[in-house]
Amino acid sequence: MAGAIIAENLAYWYGDLMAVDHISFNVAEGEILGFLGPNGAGKTTTVKMLTGLMKPKAGKAVLLGLDMAKNTEKVQGEMGICFEDTNLYEQMSALENLKFFARLFGIDGFDAYALLKRVGLDGREKDRVETYSKGMKQRLMVARSILNRPRVLFLDEPTTGLDPASSESIREIIKEERERGATVLLTTHDMEEADKLSDRVAFMDKGKIVALDTPHNLKQQYGKRALKAKVAAAGGKLEDREVIMDTPETDKAVQELFAKEKVVTVHSEEATLEDIFIKITGRGLLG
Amino acid sequence: MKWRIIGAIVSKDLSLYFRNRFIAVITVLGIVAFLVLYFVMPDATSVTDVGLYAPVVPSVFAEEESKNIDFVMVDSEAALREAVAGGEYYVGIALPADIMEKFDRGEKPDIKVYFSQETTDEMQELYRLFIQELAFKQTGQFASFNETQIVLGTDLLGQDIPLRERMRPLFAVMLLMMEMFGLANLITVEVERRTVHSLLVTPMRIRELFTAKGISGIILSFIPAALFMALVGGMNNQPLVILTAMLLGAVMVTGISFLIASLSKDFMSILGWVFVGLIIMAVPAVGIMMPGTITGWAKAIPSYYLVLPVHQAAYYGSGWGDVWQYLLALVGFDLAFIGLGIMALRRKFQ
Repeated sequence: MAGAIIAENLAYWYGDLMAVDHISFNVAEGEILGFLGPNGAGKTTTVKMLTGLMKPKAGKAVLLGLDMAKNTEKVQGEMGICFEDTNLYEQMSALENLKFFARLFGIDGFDAYALLKRVGLDGREKDRVETYSKGMKQRLMVARSILNRPRVLFLDEPTTGLDPASSESIREIIKEERERGATVLLTTHDMEEADKLSDRVAFMDKGKIVALDTPHNLKQQYGKRALKAKVAAAGGKLEDREVIMDTPETDKAVQELFAKEKVVTVHSEEATLEDIFIKITGRGLLG
Repeated sequence: MKWRIIGAIVSKDLSLYFRNRFIAVITVLGIVAFLVLYFVMPDATSVTDVGLYAPVVPSVFAEEESKNIDFVMVDSEAALREAVAGGEYYVGIALPADIMEKFDRGEKPDIKVYFSQETTDEMQELYRLFIQELAFKQTGQFASFNETQIVLGTDLLGQDIPLRERMRPLFAVMLLMMEMFGLANLITVEVERRTVHSLLVTPMRIRELFTAKGISGIILSFIPAALFMALVGGMNNQPLVILTAMLLGAVMVTGISFLIASLSKDFMSILGWVFVGLIIMAVPAVGIMMPGTITGWAKAIPSYYLVLPVHQAAYYGSGWGDVWQYLLALVGFDLAFIGLGIMALRRKFQ
């Protein structure tokens, strides 16, 4: 698969502060890349450089085979972006917002009603956005980002602060867009979301990409699988036992557990992406 | 340049402009208020009262009365001083009892002229020339006299144009300038709510954004001012000259709005900057309203080159040949403000 998004030695700094430190990665066509990292890690600056909002101070961004610096306008026509902060025209209705952006993209015969129905805003199309809840605004933001059927979709924290139902509906739309063939760069704090949706995840910390692989491989490489058991102890109490998996001693330890203890319950447990991030960076995603 | 994109942004901006109730109300109210002010003002030229103490009244004073100056006789020189100091007359002239004899003998009569303390040097000079002219008319030759000018009260001599006509450029400029608020607010809100980011990631180019904002600004400032001038009959003379001057004025206002938007972060800061701009830009118009109140330094204010051609074309029927240098200067200011405004805004957008 060709790289739909390619970052080549991309860097940006503010005075002495290195916000993005010469990072390189690529996202294949039709792939979802989860972009993870604490606040201030450089994710948003990277996205701004990739989308043409900021010019890199070093390196280059190549989208859909075109150098972003030289083909900004052309690439932006094939791109959709959902920002973290709501930036809709609040005194306009959802319908007017979408129709306005459709005009900017030069889309003829745009069916705003169908798109609004797809994101669950049917019935409220003509209401001013200022009367919408946060979840409705976020769904409209997502609708706006996909109205041009983008080949590359940037989603910055699309589900932050939303109720579970709204989050789930947005995740469904992301999956549908991937199925349509869009390449997605998903920035999120939600590890579970990244794990479920992403083909690969990139961990970013202090301006650098510290790990980039599939969630499965990262768990294999940095995490541990374990067998968690509850065993009967004296006085009718239950005690916890843990056997680390995938080691030369695993078989023997499991046999001993069942031979020597009265096992009441048993289940396997995998490391989470958060565990892995902490292991790699020494700190959590919240800073 | 993609005019489809520019058209979409202009139509969105105009729609949002009038959805902001405050801005919509002050725009409509501004036009209505200035129209009302204009029409309630007297449409006749005012007659200037000049206090006169003269034991013997030369005949030329009676002749001058038909030319917008009323000489009001007072009983004594002391009464004249008191009346001028109290603001009853703009100017008081005290003639000696032997004025005619002295003129006849070729001697210099002593004439005293009392002014209010606010009277400018230029106005005092005008009165000196006026008295010289009267003496010439009276004697049929250049007559010299000893003149003593004493400043006592306020002077507003020379209002041979009705006040409301003098106010016309001020109102038009105020209407133009008021739109600085609307446009600066539109841009500031766009930046503060980050909607500008959503525009900058579409196929729109930044120059199309500036063109669209510029067109919105010109429409919003030009139309109310042009409408006002049309409704008050300000375009009966040289409408093309006036429209051109106001269009160039609207471009300047748009450039200033760009600068204000780049400096402002919220509603209050816009308000502050716009008021500063309004006060400065209104100065040349005040100068036309009250001649003699400002001098050469007003030429440093860009609106001078807007107000003057509008006034001269509207009132005196001055054509392209008379006002081209003002319009050229206005074009220069337009380029400077638009250029600076775009530079400042581009930095802010990024």
